[in-house]
Amino acid sequence: MQKIYVHPLPVRIWHWTNAFGFVALIVTGLQIRYVDLISLMSFKAAVNLHNWVGFVLIGNFFVWLLFYLFSDKIKVYHPELSPMKHFRGSLRQLQYYGYGIFKGDPNPHHVSAYHKFNPLQSVTYQIVMLLLVPLQFFTGILLWDLKHFSGAVEFFGGVRVVDTVHVLLFIFFVAYIFGHAYLGSLGHTPTAHFKAMFTGYEEVETEVERGEPAQTLT
Amino acid sequence: MRALRKILVVDDDPVVGKSFDRVLSEKGYAVITARNGEEALKKLAEENYDAVFTDIKMPGMDGIQVAERVKARRPWIPVVIVTGYGTADNEARAEAAGVSGFLHKPLSPEMIEGSTQKALLEKDLAGAPATATETAAMPQPTAATEESAWKSVALVFAAPFVGLAYVVALPFIGLGMLAWMGAKALVPEKVARFLKNIALFFAAPFVALAYTIAFPFIGLGMLAWMGAKALVKRADSE
Ligand code: HEM
Repeated sequence: MQKIYVHPLPVRIWHWTNAFGFVALIVTGLQIRYVDLISLMSFKAAVNLHNWVGFVLIGNFFVWLLFYLFSDKIKVYHPELSPMKHFRGSLRQLQYYGYGIFKGDPNPHHVSAYHKFNPLQSVTYQIVMLLLVPLQFFTGILLWDLKHFSGAVEFFGGVRVVDTVHVLLFIFFVAYIFGHAYLGSLGHTPTAHFKAMFTGYEEVETEVERGEPAQTLT
Repeated sequence: MRALRKILVVDDDPVVGKSFDRVLSEKGYAVITARNGEEALKKLAEENYDAVFTDIKMPGMDGIQVAERVKARRPWIPVVIVTGYGTADNEARAEAAGVSGFLHKPLSPEMIEGSTQKALLEKDLAGAPATATETAAMPQPTAATEESAWKSVALVFAAPFVGLAYVVALPFIGLGMLAWMGAKALVPEKVARFLKNIALFFAAPFVALAYTIAFPFIGLGMLAWMGAKALVKRADSE
C-alpha cells in the first residue's frame, strides 16, 4: 500500500462541515415542509436553525471554492475534454459498480493527486458543486426574505417556482447523500474513503500488489 | 514512413522506465532506458536521442551531472529532471545546467506525455538538427477491411459538407485565433494559466451536464455496437 495525499485540509474542513450541515438542513427542512412528519423542535426553532445553518454553509462553500480557485488542485475539477475518453471511462466505471465489484474485479479508476475522481464522480461533483449547491443556496436566500427579494423572485417566476426548485433540489440532495455514502463505502475496506476524508491520505495499491500496471505511475 | 522519436529514460528504478514506455510507446515514441548515468552517456554516444528524462538520485553519477554532461556534448537535446522532491539547491544546479524542466513524482500518464511533447517542441523550435530516425516503412495493413472501404466512401460523400462547415467556421475561428495570439502576447503565461484553469473549472458543470444527458444514448449506442460486433464475429466463425 502506498499513501497519496488527495484531500487537502481546507477541502476536509469544508466537507465535514458541509456534510453535518446538510443533515441538519434536511432534518429541519423536513419539519418545515412536512410539519406533521417529524417534530423534533418547535416550528420556529426549526426555521431559525435552518436559516442559520444555511448561512454557515454558504460561508463554508467559499472555503471550498476559494481553495480550489487558488490551488493547482483545481485540475481535479476540470472536465475531460475528450468525449470518447469520458464515455468509455464512465461505462467501465458503471460496469464495475453494477457487476465487476461483486466478482472482486479491481476498480478501473486509479487515484492520483491530480486525478482523484473517476469519470462518474467527476461529472457528479462538478454538477453538484458548481450548479446544484449554488442554486440551492440562491433559492434559499430568496426564500429567506421574500419581501426584500420580491423583484428577483418575480423575475424567476414567483414564489411557487423558487420554492419548487428549492424542494426538488432538497429531494435530490437527500438521495445524493445516500448514494454518495454508499459509493464512499466501496473502497478497499468499507471505511477507507471516509478515513481518507479525515486524514487526507488515500491508500492505493502499488503496481506490484495489483499484479498489473497501474495508471498511477511510480 | 514514420519518424520514430527516441526518448532516453535514466533511472535506477526500472518501474519508471516501464511507465514511460507504457505511456509513450503507444503514442509512437521509442523509449530506451538506462539504469545509471554511465550507461546513459554510453547510449548517448552511440545513438541520437530526441529527449532525455533522468532521475536525480542514483548510485554513481546523479541526474544533474548526467544533465550537465548531456548538455555539454549535445546542447540541443532537452533534458528533463524527474524527482520526488525538489530542493532549491538541486533546482538551481539543474537550472544552471540548462535543463528543460522538472517532472515531480508521482507521475501520471498525462504528465509524461505532456512533458515529452513540451520537451520535443522546445527542441524543434530551437531548430536542432533532425535526429529522428526513420524506421523501416511500416507495413500497411494490406487486407483492407470492408469497414474501411465503407468508411472511405462515406467520407467522400461527407467531404463537401465538412468543407462547407469549415468555410463557414473560418472567419470565427480565424478571429478567435487572432484574439488568442494577441492575448497570449499580452498576458503573462502565469496569469494565462490561472485564467484558463478557472475558465475550465466553471465550464466543467456544463460539460458534465451535456455528458450526463448524452450518456444514456451513447451508452446504449456503445452497447448496441459491441453486441452487433459480437454477433457478426460469431456469424463469421460459424
Ligand atoms: C453524511 C454525509 C456524507 C458523507 C458520509 C460523505 C462522504 C464522503 C467521502 C468519503 C468522500 C471522499 C471520497 C470521494 O472523493 O468521493 C467525499 C467527497 C466529497 N463529498 Fe461527501 N459525504 C457526505 C455529504 C456530502 C454532501 C452533503 C455533499 C455536497 C452537497 C458532499 C460532496 C462531496 C464532494 C464534492 C466530494 C469531493 C470533494 C473534493 O475532493 O473536492 N458530500 N464525501
